[in-house]
Amino acid sequence: ASPRPQTAYSFHRTYLTNLSLSAELLDDILREKPQEADGIDSVVVVDNVPQVGPERLEKLKNVIHKIFSKFGKITTEFYPEADGMTKGYIFLEYAAPTQALEAVKNADGYKLDKQHTFRVNLFTDFDKYMNICDEWEAPEKQPFKDFGNMRHWIEDPDCRDQYSVIYEAGERTAIFSNDAKEPIINEERARWTETYVRWSPKGTYLATFHQRGIALWGGEKFKQIQRFSHQGVSLIDFSPCERYVVTFSPLMDTKEDPQAIIIWDILTGQKKRGFHCESSAHWPIFKWSHDGKFFARMSTDTLSIYETPSMGLLDKKSLKINGIKDFSWSPGDNIIAFWVPEDKDIPARVTLMQMPSRQEIRVRNLFNVVDCKLHWQRNGDYLCVKVDRTPKGTQGVVTNFEIFRMREKQVPVDVVEMKESIIAFAWEPNGSKFAVLHGESPRINASFYHVKNNGKIELIKMFDKQQANSIFWSPQGQFMVLAGLRSMNGALAFVDTSDCTLMNIAEHYMASDVEWDPTGRYVVTSVSWWSHKVDNAYWLWTFQGRLLQKNNKDRFCQLLWRPRPPTLLSIDQIKMIKKDLKKYSKIFEQKDRLSQSKASKELVDKRRAMMEEYRNYREAALQNYQEQKNLRLELRGGVDTDELDSNVDDWEEETIEFFINEEIIPLGDLHIEEKEKLSKLFLCLTIAIFFFASSCWCVATAQHRVSNQCMRKVLSQNQ
Amino acid sequence: IKVFVSTEDNQPYLSIPCSEHKITSAVWGPLGEFVIAGHENGEINQFSAKSGDILKKIKEHTKQINDIQSSVDNTMFITASKDNTAKLFDSTSLDHIKTFRTERPVNSAAISPIMDHVVMGGGQEAMEVTTTSTRIGKFEARFFHAAYEEEFGRVKGHFGPINCVAFHPDGKSYSSGGEDGYVRIHYFDPQYFDFELEV
Repeated sequence: ASPRPQTAYSFHRTYLTNLSLSAELLDDILREKPQEADGIDSVVVVDNVPQVGPERLEKLKNVIHKIFSKFGKITTEFYPEADGMTKGYIFLEYAAPTQALEAVKNADGYKLDKQHTFRVNLFTDFDKYMNICDEWEAPEKQPFKDFGNMRHWIEDPDCRDQYSVIYEAGERTAIFSNDAKEPIINEERARWTETYVRWSPKGTYLATFHQRGIALWGGEKFKQIQRFSHQGVSLIDFSPCERYVVTFSPLMDTKEDPQAIIIWDILTGQKKRGFHCESSAHWPIFKWSHDGKFFARMSTDTLSIYETPSMGLLDKKSLKINGIKDFSWSPGDNIIAFWVPEDKDIPARVTLMQMPSRQEIRVRNLFNVVDCKLHWQRNGDYLCVKVDRTPKGTQGVVTNFEIFRMREKQVPVDVVEMKESIIAFAWEPNGSKFAVLHGESPRINASFYHVKNNGKIELIKMFDKQQANSIFWSPQGQFMVLAGLRSMNGALAFVDTSDCTLMNIAEHYMASDVEWDPTGRYVVTSVSWWSHKVDNAYWLWTFQGRLLQKNNKDRFCQLLWRPRPPTLLSIDQIKMIKKDLKKYSKIFEQKDRLSQSKASKELVDKRRAMMEEYRNYREAALQNYQEQKNLRLELRGGVDTDELDSNVDDWEEETIEFFINEEIIPLGDLHIEEKEKLSKLFLCLTIAIFFFASSCWCVATAQHRVSNQCMRKVLSQNQ
Repeated sequence: IKVFVSTEDNQPYLSIPCSEHKITSAVWGPLGEFVIAGHENGEINQFSAKSGDILKKIKEHTKQINDIQSSVDNTMFITASKDNTAKLFDSTSLDHIKTFRTERPVNSAAISPIMDHVVMGGGQEAMEVTTTSTRIGKFEARFFHAAYEEEFGRVKGHFGPINCVAFHPDGKSYSSGGEDGYVRIHYFDPQYFDFELEV
């Protein structure tokens, strides 16, 4: 037997000895004799308790009592001592094992003061750890699951980006490689997902949704990498570093075991921590810092920030911020921006706070605020706070943009006042420009601003009377699409913001989505079956607005480009490549021409084959037809129906006159020539009548003479 | 299906009942020995004109067949279906020869008597019409090359779905009638007859 630590049951021995004398007399009570093993499950051992002398022992006991009686009724407590001081660990017994469990769960890690953080364990755990085999057995080796090269798609020699397509109303999901001529299919599966799909931020994983949870797929052949069981999952979010995935299910949530939101470690598949969640209205509830080191969520008057990988609260407590309305992380640094509305005499304000130090870098007071929205520029260089205010003495709402320059000392703030209501706002991803859509339909204007280094914010250009309600910047900056989605019938405007010119205006009728590829070369506009039940398709455009493809897909639902991981090239290398761009362009153009001619040759060959096949069929059919001619004649009683003109005799020709036009010309207005023509006509008619009359007379006289001659002849004969 | 002999009285010579799936369209076979019928479920059956038995049956379409029209020599016929396709078949063997795909239900299709072209007209069902484009004349008749299965032309003009198309027997014009109540007669330009898809 292994040595046991001094237990709190030393007093039991005395109890027992006293009893044994009157064993027979106290039979019934003896039956209730506590066993040494009883109650062990309700005992906890607390370590890191301050070591105090007898004068402070009472106070210590009170403190411990206050902390630990929260979890249940403490029936016994034992403070072992040595040399007049407490040893630094104590034993507490609760009325029930469940209470002991509560104590372990909640008090373990409790920071009493700077030097003392309680470690609480179940007494029975000690036993377990003591009994561990001395011989260390190496854990069984799990067979290595080789998923292949997880970045395989990046190595495509023609640098084709991939995208996922869901169609047939969700029945089929396919992955294509994007090629300017025609999409190339990589993978296609029926019922791959039950609702929709999401890519991880660096493109490594494809997440699919199922009733039981989510699955992650990746590698060259899209094998299943990991599975996370979360019944009824409806929303997910990835950490930017792709180490963790957060799942939300409205179904599973109990008081003891919060399961609404679960954070998982992707590589091991382990559940790291579960959280409560009241509503998923603003997903993601947990917002990640850009490096994945922290994640935070907001609740009433509180901002809770957690750190990874421990998944514990940063500094073990949440930030109390009265009235906090919204917050967001900088995409470039570990800085949180949040705002609180007006509170009696205190104006509304926006605060920038550095993490983990919690130092307030910048605070900006705002007056008469109705609402604020935070817009970070993608590198964290600028923060724009869109402030809706009702100035004193007015009824209407005006909007200001407060631009925080994050990269300058003390974060100066510049204000841009907007005269009209704002429809959309978007920063240029890599640069210092932003675009705003403002106004009311049909007078919607698009304005482009440049945040300059000299402290000014300049309005570069304004386009008026645009049909647009959304802004889509290219992920590489400079180019963008202004789109009028859904109710605006898919109007598209392609803009080059280097000189603010409209490169092309086009339309994809009833387009519901616009997606740039990660390189900024292509744009896809699509009509999703989820928003419109006909004409479901996705169209591929170049960044300049030239339409390349129209891909109709039966009940097309969603297209998502696969994100690319950040480039491995250094800034110098990128500079070198830009310098040598001419050389590379030549090679690429040659390659393009080659594949183009190959494609047309393929098309030509295909067409030739189809035509030949068709011709052969028609020839055979025609031959058959000729052979049956006699049969036909027979069936139709000798009438040849083969040609349209086989029986012309049967034709009846009919000339139909129909009225085209009526024109009344008063004679008085006739031109001289016309008059002459008419008079000539009359003259001719008169002459004709004259001749006719005269010829009639001649004939008549001739006849008369003839009849006279006849009469004379007859008369002479009769004599 | 009721088969009538034209000279007699108004009684059908032969009546072929059809139990499960309603017959939506029918044409005669090349020598009048059978009738080719299209059904509500996409089936095509050959019914003998003498006995009424089913001689051949195929199912190539997935939804209702809206129209069947024969070629001028009756050797092949084209079916127009709600499943957004029109298909070309051989009349005697019922072999499926070609498929022409669109994104809208096809209400009617016809085969040109003199060129390797087919024309198709369609659109949404009457009750769904208000949800599509109200742009003027969006409903189009579409011309496909019969051998390449590729669309090469569209003719706009109808305000509503096209319900019926037909080529003139001489192949120099075609007509279309639609839900909007108009019948449009189109005469082809000389370029139509010279047009060739590049080979």
